[in-house]
Amino acid sequence: MSAVETKSELGEAASSLKGMPLLEIEDLRISISSEGSSFEVVKGVSLTVCENEVVCLVGESGCGKSMTALSVMGLLPRGVARVTEGKIDYEGRDLLSLQSRELRRLRADSISMIFQDPITSLDPVFTIGSVLKEVVRSHRDVSRAEAKEIAVRALVEAELPDAADHLDSYPHQLSGGMRQRVMIALAIALDPRILIADEPTTALDVTVQAQILENLRARQREREMGMLLITHDLAVVASVADRVAVMYAGEIVEEAPVEELFANPQHPYTQGLIRALPDISVSRGSLHSIPGRVPSPQTPPPGCLFAPRCDHVLDSCWEANPELQRDGAQSLRCFNPQPFEVR
Amino acid sequence: MKRAASRLVYTLIVLFVSSVAVFYAIRLSGGDATAAALPGSATEEYREAFRDRLGLNEPIYQQYFTYMGRILSGDPGNSLTNNKALTSMLSEHGRNSLVLGGTAFGLVFLVGIPLGIVASLRRNSWADQGIMSMSTVAMAVPNFWLALLAVWLFASRLGWLPSAGCCSTKQLILPAVVLAFEGIALTVRMTRSSMIESQNSDYVRTLRAGGLSEWRITCKHVLRNALIPIISLAGLRIGQIVGYALIVETIFGWPGLGQVLVNAVLRRDYPVAQFFSLVLVTIVVMGNWVADTGYTIANPRLRKST
Repeated sequence: MSAVETKSELGEAASSLKGMPLLEIEDLRISISSEGSSFEVVKGVSLTVCENEVVCLVGESGCGKSMTALSVMGLLPRGVARVTEGKIDYEGRDLLSLQSRELRRLRADSISMIFQDPITSLDPVFTIGSVLKEVVRSHRDVSRAEAKEIAVRALVEAELPDAADHLDSYPHQLSGGMRQRVMIALAIALDPRILIADEPTTALDVTVQAQILENLRARQREREMGMLLITHDLAVVASVADRVAVMYAGEIVEEAPVEELFANPQHPYTQGLIRALPDISVSRGSLHSIPGRVPSPQTPPPGCLFAPRCDHVLDSCWEANPELQRDGAQSLRCFNPQPFEVR
Repeated sequence: MKRAASRLVYTLIVLFVSSVAVFYAIRLSGGDATAAALPGSATEEYREAFRDRLGLNEPIYQQYFTYMGRILSGDPGNSLTNNKALTSMLSEHGRNSLVLGGTAFGLVFLVGIPLGIVASLRRNSWADQGIMSMSTVAMAVPNFWLALLAVWLFASRLGWLPSAGCCSTKQLILPAVVLAFEGIALTVRMTRSSMIESQNSDYVRTLRAGGLSEWRITCKHVLRNALIPIISLAGLRIGQIVGYALIVETIFGWPGLGQVLVNAVLRRDYPVAQFFSLVLVTIVVMGNWVADTGYTIANPRLRKST
C-alpha cells in the first residue's frame, strides 16, 4: 500500500528532525453508522507524532479530525462510530487491538487527552481535587497525601491561580479558562508521553486562548511530549505547530512543516484556508471564502473529494482520487497543484 | 442554607393558601353538618342552635381564623360521629399511615433505582426490555384494580397473604406493594434515562480519558449525577403515595389517615374531613420541601456559590 510506504518514509524524515516516532497512525478508517446506514468519515488517515513535536491536524468541522483523535484513546462514541481498518502504533503496540484494561492503563498515564468544551467536561458533583486524586490513584500506588501533592503540582503547572485552594472547588465555581486548566492538569498529572488536544481553546475567550496555548506549548516542550493538536484555527497552528496535516472530508490532503505550509501551500484547499484568514492590515477588505460546501460523507463525489470546489480542476480530477504523494518534507494529494499567490 | 430558608418561607405560603382552599372547599361542598351529628327527627330550631354552637353561622373568613387558631393551639376539636378527639385519631391512624406510606416510599426507591440501573447498564438486552415493558404496564394499571387483582390472586387463590387488616408485616405487604407500584415504575424509567444521559456526557468521557475503570465511573460518577433528578422528584412521589393511600387503605381496610378521611367524607363528618385533609396537604407540601432540601445537598451547583 502506497499510503503505508509514504508513512514510514515520513516517519524517518521526521525522526531525524525530532525525537523518535511515538505514535504512528496507519491507514486509519472510521465508519459511523446511524439508522441502518453506515458511511466512512475517516478514509485512510496516516499520521506520525514524534517525541517533542507538535503536530496540528487542521480541517473544518466534520472532516474527521476529532474522530481520528478519539480513536487513539479508544473513546469513539460507542455504537455509533468504529474503526474499520488501520493500525495505531504506540511503543510497538497496536492500540486498536489492546484489551480495554490495557488501554485503560495507558490513558492519562502514557496518552492523555484534552477536550473542547471545559464547561461540560468536568463532573459537576465532585470537587476538582477529588477527581484529580482519583485519576492519580487509579494509575499509581500512592497515599492520599502523595496523590494530593501530585494533584496540586499538576494544577500549578497548568497555571491555575491559587492551585492548592481550588482542590475543594466544584467545576461550576471556576471560569471556562480555569476549567480548561483543570483539564490540562488532569492530562499532564501523570507525565504522559503523548498529549492529544481536541480544539482546546475553541470554547474560550480570545484573551484566555493565547494563555492556554502558551501553557500547553511550555508543558510540551519541557516534557518533550509528542502533541497532537486538533484545530480549525490557522492562527493556533501558526503559533504552536511544528508540522501540520490538513484534513478534508476524511482524508489528509496535505502535510508539511509549519513554515513551509504557510509559505508555500500546495493543495488548493490549504491555499483557500490560508487566503480565508482575515488580514488585519487590510481594513474592511472583503473576506475570502471557499465556494461550495463539504461533500456529504454518505454521497462522496467520484474522483477527488475537493474537485467540486476547486478552481483548477482537471478532467482527471473527476475520475480518480489522487494518492497522497510525498515530496521532500511535504505530502500532497492533488493532480494539479498551483503556485500560491497571496490574494 | 439560604436557599433552604427561602424555600421554607415559600412552603409556608403554599401551606397557608392550601389551608384556605381546603377550608372553603369543605364549606362549599354543600350538605348539612347537622345531618351527621343529629338524629333525623331533630327539629329545625334545634339544628339551628347546633350550627350556632359550632360557629357555622359566622362569616366564613372568621370561621377560618377561629379554626386555625384552635389547630395551632393544639385542639382541633372532636369527631361529630363518635366524639373522639381529632388529636388522638391523628396519632393512632397517623402511625398506621406512616408505616404503610413509609414502606411504600422506601419500596419506590429501593426497588425502582436498582431496576433502572440494571436496565441502563444492559441497554436493549432482554432484561432491559422486560423491565421497561413491566414498568409501562405498571404505569397503565389503575391501582384500585391492581389492589383487587392482588387480593384475588395472593389472598383468595393462593392464600399466601391476608386480604385486609392491620398491622402485621404480612398484612402490610399487599397494600405497600400496590401503593408503591406506579412510583416504582416511574422511578425505573427516570433512573434508566438519567443513567444513560449521564453515561453519554462529556465528563464521563473525561473520566474514561483519565483511565478510570468503567465500573468505578458507573458506580461513583454516573450514578451520583443520575440520582439528582430522581431526588428532586421524590416530593412528587410523596404526593402520589398520599393520594393513592385514600384508595389503597380503603380497599385493604388499613386504618390510616386515608381511610379515616374517606369515611369522614362519606358520613359528612366535617371536622374530621377538614382536619385530615389539612394534615395530608401538610404532609405533601412538607415532603416537597424536604425533597427540595435533599436536592440542594445532592447538587453542589445549588449550594452556597462563591
